[in-house]
Amino acid sequence: MAKRHHWVVRLTHWINVIALPIMIASGLRIFNAYPGFARRGETFCCYPWEGKAIPDALTFGGWLAGARNWHFAMMWVLVVNGIVYLAFIYLHGEWRDLVPRRGDPRDAIEMVRFYFFRRREHPHQGKHNALQKLAYFSMPIITALAVLTGIAIWKPVQLSGLTMLFGGYVWARYFHFLAMVLLVALVLGHVFMVLSVDPYSLRSITTGGYSERLSPEKRNARPFYHLLPPDQATPAQPGSPDAS
Amino acid sequence: MRPDERVKTGHLSERLGIDRRRFIIAAGGALGALLLDACDSQGPKSAQKLLRLAERGNERVERALFRHTAMDVPRAGAHAAGRHLPSYFISDTVPVWDEKARGTWALQVDGLVKRPLRLTLNDLSRLPRIGYRLDHFCVEGWTAIATRTGVRLSELAELAQVDRAARYVDFQSFDSDYHESWDVESALHPQTLVVYAQDGHYLDPAYGAPARIYSPVKLGYKNTKYLTRISFLAERNGGYWSDRGYEWYGGT
Repeated sequence: MAKRHHWVVRLTHWINVIALPIMIASGLRIFNAYPGFARRGETFCCYPWEGKAIPDALTFGGWLAGARNWHFAMMWVLVVNGIVYLAFIYLHGEWRDLVPRRGDPRDAIEMVRFYFFRRREHPHQGKHNALQKLAYFSMPIITALAVLTGIAIWKPVQLSGLTMLFGGYVWARYFHFLAMVLLVALVLGHVFMVLSVDPYSLRSITTGGYSERLSPEKRNARPFYHLLPPDQATPAQPGSPDAS
Repeated sequence: MRPDERVKTGHLSERLGIDRRRFIIAAGGALGALLLDACDSQGPKSAQKLLRLAERGNERVERALFRHTAMDVPRAGAHAAGRHLPSYFISDTVPVWDEKARGTWALQVDGLVKRPLRLTLNDLSRLPRIGYRLDHFCVEGWTAIATRTGVRLSELAELAQVDRAARYVDFQSFDSDYHESWDVESALHPQTLVVYAQDGHYLDPAYGAPARIYSPVKLGYKNTKYLTRISFLAERNGGYWSDRGYEWYGGT
């Protein structure tokens, strides 16, 4: 049977599952050493919680130096993993399933309408529906922003051109934080939707296998609605296409 | 799978005589205990070696990126920190040079040099003076702007006739023996100064008087205050915070 996700996609996905939380939690521990953005002797316009630390339970690394060591080691895992993934989907053609097309923004709105009961029937799903495409397409872009702003605040003198591109050290640090917030929002949304709408995709991203019978479109699935297959009452007969 | 196959392969739980659910709970518990045992608040202990390896790798990347022509230029409109610049030291109280007990303060320049130097504050102030408005990049994530005035370290290196074998420089202090060693390339960057004045005034004891090293190419903790001695060395010599887990290189 054809695999839904190539092993390279599955492997890089699960490496991200390890690397991203470590990057985020160690980054929050680093942030807590100075939980604000204002340059000393100035105020900062655009962060309402200046000086308020992130709860320790959400941080990793123990202390500033420990967190920095984790952050600066794991960044290579994240970057190499990301390059492998992007190179693979470019060369292998998977990018076609992810790059949004003309009609996709409108279809994404239809998905949202469906999820909020403003529409009865699940819009066309395909491998990824339009809303998923937008989410999965924006993730590498936001990660790239996180990596570039990260380099900008790591080397603000030796790579000052990059730092200036983001408006200087203070703003680069702010955009680094903002990219993290966006990534966290996307990841939480992603995990919520997987668990509440399509938990069967956990199989696709782990072993690669999937069953068309269980697709969200076939189940007309919204969060926590129609989680079970539509023909649950009549188990699949031997010889039916899904029994293999 | 045929029913008779199941007997032959026999899941581990069956051989142990416990049901599968019990087995999973027990195995999960054991694995969890193992992980917790190997973890302290800084993550798995076995990872520490890998983290040090990554730090060495990062240092190679940073040293390859390093250019003397890359200069720090603070944003034009940004305000100077003034008294909002935090004053850090490791002693319990502000370290102050005690002239009665220790004589006149002087900066020693020694190690792999042909002419060791001993410079009082007067000597320093007679050397070519240079002032820069510079960013201060603290490892904690904050920045501050101050004007730093003093003598280029490269100037002192020339005076002392530093040996070619000197690859590292150690900056020592009278702040409870605080010190940090650097790579010589960073030390000879044109913005690396032996600073004796800040924002137009001689250094305040809170900010490292009588003199400190300051360079925007290094994070704050690498810039030793309360300077007493600059030693040019063939080998690196760690440092107060570098020995406690912070990156030795600490470049910007």
